Amino acid sequence: MENVEVIIVLLVTALAATLGARTLLRRIPLVLRQIPAFDVLPAAAADAVESSYRLHFALGSSGLGFGGSLSTLVSAEVIYRLAQRLAVSRQSPLITLNDALTLPLAQDTLRRAYEYRQTMEYYRAHAAAWFPQGQRSLAFAAGAASLSADLDAVGNVLLGRFGTELAFLGESAMRHDQTLIAHSDLIEGQAIAFAQADQVLLGEELYAGPAYMNPRKVDEGSLLATELLRWLVIFGILVTALEAAL
Amino acid sequence: MRSHRLVNFLATVTVISIGLVMIIGLLSDQDTVPGIMAAFLLSLVTVIAAVAVVVGVLNLIAVHLGRFTRAERGWPYSIVVLVVAIGVIVLRILDRADIWTGDLEGERISARLFEAVQVSIESALAALLLFFLAFAAFRLMRRQVTVWNVLFSVTVVVVLLGSDPLNLLSDTRDWLVEVPVNAGTRGLLIGVGLGTVTAGVRVLLGQDRSYRD
Repeated sequence: MENVEVIIVLLVTALAATLGARTLLRRIPLVLRQIPAFDVLPAAAADAVESSYRLHFALGSSGLGFGGSLSTLVSAEVIYRLAQRLAVSRQSPLITLNDALTLPLAQDTLRRAYEYRQTMEYYRAHAAAWFPQGQRSLAFAAGAASLSADLDAVGNVLLGRFGTELAFLGESAMRHDQTLIAHSDLIEGQAIAFAQADQVLLGEELYAGPAYMNPRKVDEGSLLATELLRWLVIFGILVTALEAAL
Repeated sequence: MRSHRLVNFLATVTVISIGLVMIIGLLSDQDTVPGIMAAFLLSLVTVIAAVAVVVGVLNLIAVHLGRFTRAERGWPYSIVVLVVAIGVIVLRILDRADIWTGDLEGERISARLFEAVQVSIESALAALLLFFLAFAAFRLMRRQVTVWNVLFSVTVVVVLLGSDPLNLLSDTRDWLVEVPVNAGTRGLLIGVGLGTVTAGVRVLLGQDRSYRD
């Protein structure tokens, strides 16, 4: 099978599964397995509002326009759903990132949340802060960690693409007694997140985020489509391995 | 309200159209019309990304100027950031204007400054990461002893011992890196890839809200 054919099969299957599951789920309620990070995230947002402290979201190297565009969009969607809860507070959440193209997306995510709550007077465009990317994103990590600490953020939510620089953010969170919920789509970042974070989101669990927080039917349909594709891939790997062995 | 709906409708139509053009273009040969259109759209992104860096720098300056004027905690660091940012921009302009004379003629001071300061500081920070990681493994075990935490800590110890000059456990380390780590990386990448496909489908269905009011 050529790459083009694989892409077409994946897209058509995902499209059919998403639409099919969306229709099916109108009649059958979806029961989701527990992902602790998605239990903790709304609670962290509620804590931040009650204590009038900020919550810090970091997108790391996730960027629009190239490889990680869709993971950036999903991260922004998760941030939006949490920012909706935070937008009742005067303390605007902080979003840090190091891809300049993502800056308007981050600002707009916050703006939409405040507009939804009709509290635009609390919205600050500068609550989304860009830091330049160094050779290992350490300049970003140093800047984001110190800004989060200086603004007394009660917790750090790292969603997107982080490498080893995640250790720096994690260390700073520990020193300043901040909660750390972390995800990375890079293996180095994922390993560090496992060791340092209070709660960790593994690999594709980030993409399940919209289905766990104020879900729409299409979000749940999308999650079911991912599960179907996962089983198809597992089946494909097993068949190929058996074929090679026999 | 009506104008909002119209803007949302136009945004959705634009996103779906461009998404479809990109998919068809990337699946076609480069010299076909869809291939050329996809390449054109990608080059537009590159240009916008370059302009966005200027927006990013302005944002950085605005954020730190705000912290300085409001005297927020850590404001002295903001002054350092502002002075360095302006200094680097001025140096770069002087470099481009070839203003240096004497021993400095033909030099690119901004590039040299970057190498001397940025690379050194980042290397020093990178060296600290090892200690952060070792301490994180220790904290992990102190917090809760589970099978996965033990496995993680043992792996860290084996990899660290396997990397020493005495070649202790180097075979075990190589096997760990080549088999379980490789398998884990592929599993992670496949999972992220599948998530990306379904997220892409959501965008193509016009269900993504990031570009709508």
